Amino acid sequence: MWKSIIYKEWLKIRWFLIGFTALGILGVGYLFLTVQHGFTFSGGKNYWYSILFMGYQFFNPIKYAPLAGGLAIAVAQYFPETVNKRIKLTFHLPLGENKVLLMMHAFGAGSLLFSYLLIFGVFAGFSIFYFPVQMITDSIISIVPWFLAGFVAYFLVALVVLEPVWKFRFYYLLVGGFFVTIYLQSPDTAAFGPANTGLFILTATLSIALLFSAYRFRKGEM
Amino acid sequence: MSNAIECNNLTHYYGKKMVYENLNFHVREGSILGLLGKNGVGKTTTINILNGFLQPRSGECLIFGENTQHLSPESKARIGFLIEGHVQYSFMNIHQIEKFYSGFYPNWKPAPYWDLMSKLKVTPTQKISTMSCGQRSQVALGLILAQDPDLLILDDFSMGLDPGYRRLFIDYLREYAKAENKTIFTTSHIIQDMERLIDDVLIMDYNRVLAQCPISEFMSDFKRFDFELENDQVDLKKEAFVRNLEKVKNKVELYTYESQDFVQKFLTDNGVAHRGFNHVKMELEDAFIGLTGKY
Amino acid sequence: MEKISRYFLVFIAILTLAIVLPKLYWMAFEKPIRKPFVLFSCMNNDFMIHRIAEGNRVDTKGNKYTLEEYEQKLPMMFVQQLLVSGLLPDTIKGIGLDMHDISKAKSFFRLKANEIDAPVPDLYPMFESKSGRASLEMPDDFFRITWRIDFIDASTNKVLEDKSQMFSGALFHKGFAFPVKQIAGLPTTRKSCDEGYLILDSKDQLFHVKMIKGKPFVMKVNIPEGLKFTHINCVDFKNKSYYAYLFSEKNEIYILTQDDYQLVKWPIEGYNPKNCDLKIYGDLFNYNVIIEAEDHIKVFALDTEYKIVDTYSESWPVKAERTEGKVFASIFPAQLSMTSDKSKFIRFYLALTIGFSWVFLNLLLLAIHFIFLYRRKVNLKKHIADLCIIAITGIFGFIAIHFFQNKFFE
Repeated sequence: MWKSIIYKEWLKIRWFLIGFTALGILGVGYLFLTVQHGFTFSGGKNYWYSILFMGYQFFNPIKYAPLAGGLAIAVAQYFPETVNKRIKLTFHLPLGENKVLLMMHAFGAGSLLFSYLLIFGVFAGFSIFYFPVQMITDSIISIVPWFLAGFVAYFLVALVVLEPVWKFRFYYLLVGGFFVTIYLQSPDTAAFGPANTGLFILTATLSIALLFSAYRFRKGEM
Repeated sequence: MSNAIECNNLTHYYGKKMVYENLNFHVREGSILGLLGKNGVGKTTTINILNGFLQPRSGECLIFGENTQHLSPESKARIGFLIEGHVQYSFMNIHQIEKFYSGFYPNWKPAPYWDLMSKLKVTPTQKISTMSCGQRSQVALGLILAQDPDLLILDDFSMGLDPGYRRLFIDYLREYAKAENKTIFTTSHIIQDMERLIDDVLIMDYNRVLAQCPISEFMSDFKRFDFELENDQVDLKKEAFVRNLEKVKNKVELYTYESQDFVQKFLTDNGVAHRGFNHVKMELEDAFIGLTGKY
Repeated sequence: MEKISRYFLVFIAILTLAIVLPKLYWMAFEKPIRKPFVLFSCMNNDFMIHRIAEGNRVDTKGNKYTLEEYEQKLPMMFVQQLLVSGLLPDTIKGIGLDMHDISKAKSFFRLKANEIDAPVPDLYPMFESKSGRASLEMPDDFFRITWRIDFIDASTNKVLEDKSQMFSGALFHKGFAFPVKQIAGLPTTRKSCDEGYLILDSKDQLFHVKMIKGKPFVMKVNIPEGLKFTHINCVDFKNKSYYAYLFSEKNEIYILTQDDYQLVKWPIEGYNPKNCDLKIYGDLFNYNVIIEAEDHIKVFALDTEYKIVDTYSESWPVKAERTEGKVFASIFPAQLSMTSDKSKFIRFYLALTIGFSWVFLNLLLLAIHFIFLYRRKVNLKKHIADLCIIAITGIFGFIAIHFFQNKFFE
């Protein structure tokens, strides 16, 4: 049965996922094009110096990319379920309602994770060519929150889309909108270090958020 | 014979507005029940409660003995559900949607589905969203038949369909249900269709049940008598045996469960002069309007 | 599961509100605290206090000064202005004023709390100390210290083995215990000359490391028993009297003298690097050591032998003690922030409100919610957790509970 669930979710998100992953990889490619350009024109030592001592963050252009991916996948997956309240069809399947939702959600989040890992892999691969491991670690610490923000966006969009009452959708958006900004601050490189574990845990707690609004939908809240 | 569906003391309000109070009905296994009522009497509310999409204010509904708010997956596998408007995952085409649903039901029977699909003039990769209303209904019907459920809950199956498709639907359904001893619970606006399909009728009005019995019984018990009054000022509406009365000048249509003898005796006993007394044979739609009244 | 989901959401909402609402409040109502600027005057042996907020300049005895009078009392600070006005004296305290001497003695050092608790780079440029060139050149490679010292060429990202081994050997030979605790230096070409780096190893030993004509220079600094440094800041002062300021774990301030590597403790007390800003103005006659905290300022005037000449301190009410702080305390039980002005790291900084004036609002909100529930005729047992949440978190919990409704059926 889970195969069928994955089949349906895949049909919904496949082009968004492929598109986003491709754009993400191209984006990272562009990023390192700028790095290469910087190396050529300023010289490696001055480029390193600007990163180490002048706070230059070469990875900054991709800051909002994971967030966009999370939003896109969530919209692609959950919007079609709200048209004509089609999600009733899913709830009617011979599975527990929470179980089927979590399967859908796990697939979406898993696909997003896969996409992020691919993009991140390209990032790491190029980085190893240009920078020593300490500088790579610092940039990873800085971009981890942005990827977590992508998951937060995914989880929260599902919560908002499945909520049947518009007033509460607004409230959830309000809270979620402010909450996600925590992940998208622009401090010094590697400043997120102490917070990343906490942010990871908070992101994980939101993974079951959609069950709340789906429950309200099932009980006929209006 | 046990009840496939049983609703006890069902009460629901939308905010302060009452939909109904202490509604009781049941659907025997193997029978076809039609829920008739005007717009807004609570048909879709009842369907939503039956499918577990609405928590009633009080009371309960049981399907196969289970409370509909907590249906087990096994029970859900035995229930086929048609959403009002033939709502489907229309981003899929007919192959994708069959592949999707077949994964959930071990007793999936693809033959009736493909039989119906062969009658559809669609391309293999055509998305359901691009099909006409009637074609979509055919897909929805095919999926339910392939699922082979013991109970079918159909919310307004005739919505948006032209007569050809409606007839197709009804013929298929009735034959299928009787052959396999299936239970059907259905609502519809189009009363003539219901007449062809159902065994039992449940007629609801705002806040109450007006009739709940086999359709044959209803049609034989509920009668219409037409006559002309000599004195068009006579008001018979408030009489206990009169379920409904339509009067245009002195021409009266009287609806009642009482016998012809009773009515005529009443008129005579009370000195209501009349002429042209006639027992009019009704179709279900006439009877429905007679019972619930014109708007 | 849905209930757990709701409580997670309520928690996230409380967290978010605890960040946003206090922030909005302060944005609307916070008033700046203008700290006075205090310097020791070598002319009247008293402290000159410039109160920027009130716009007056006084000494510790309350005498007022005009701008010109003020500047004349602080000739080392306002040398340029006094030259222009022709008011610079020829001698002070019997010492003839030579422009060159004045300029050479002038120094300024500043250390903010958030510079100490901050991410540090892992790679540094090792400059050639004696290149024979007038200006310093950025080297092609950077070094890092892990279990040895590596020099990595920036353009190729490859380790320079020979150089690395040479320097690693030199460090090892002097008893350096890898890995490193702190690397302190001035990684910029904009300094008068290069004095390499002061490096603390894992055993709190201090080494002075330079590159002279491509070869490693390593000097181990003798540290008295029991002295541990937590932070080192190198300086580039014209008089070249010392390499750096060093801060011990007992919050003492030391300097490391140039060439003879003597550690001299300055008689400064009351400096807590974690929540104070430090400013040190050096001139021909004095060192002004200014310790600025949130609620007070303490100034030490030292002579050129680093002995205390005079001290000054002043305090003022903090944000929490002013009206807007008191109103804050009656509304919000706490404030959560991801940033702090005492650190450059992102953390969950929780500041619990001092005092209990917010309890009244909490109780009021609790009562409101209780009435609300009573009117809806709900089973109060199911809402106990919600009521507790409001009781503890006040306005944050009240809003969160209403945004994420507690409506569950059995």
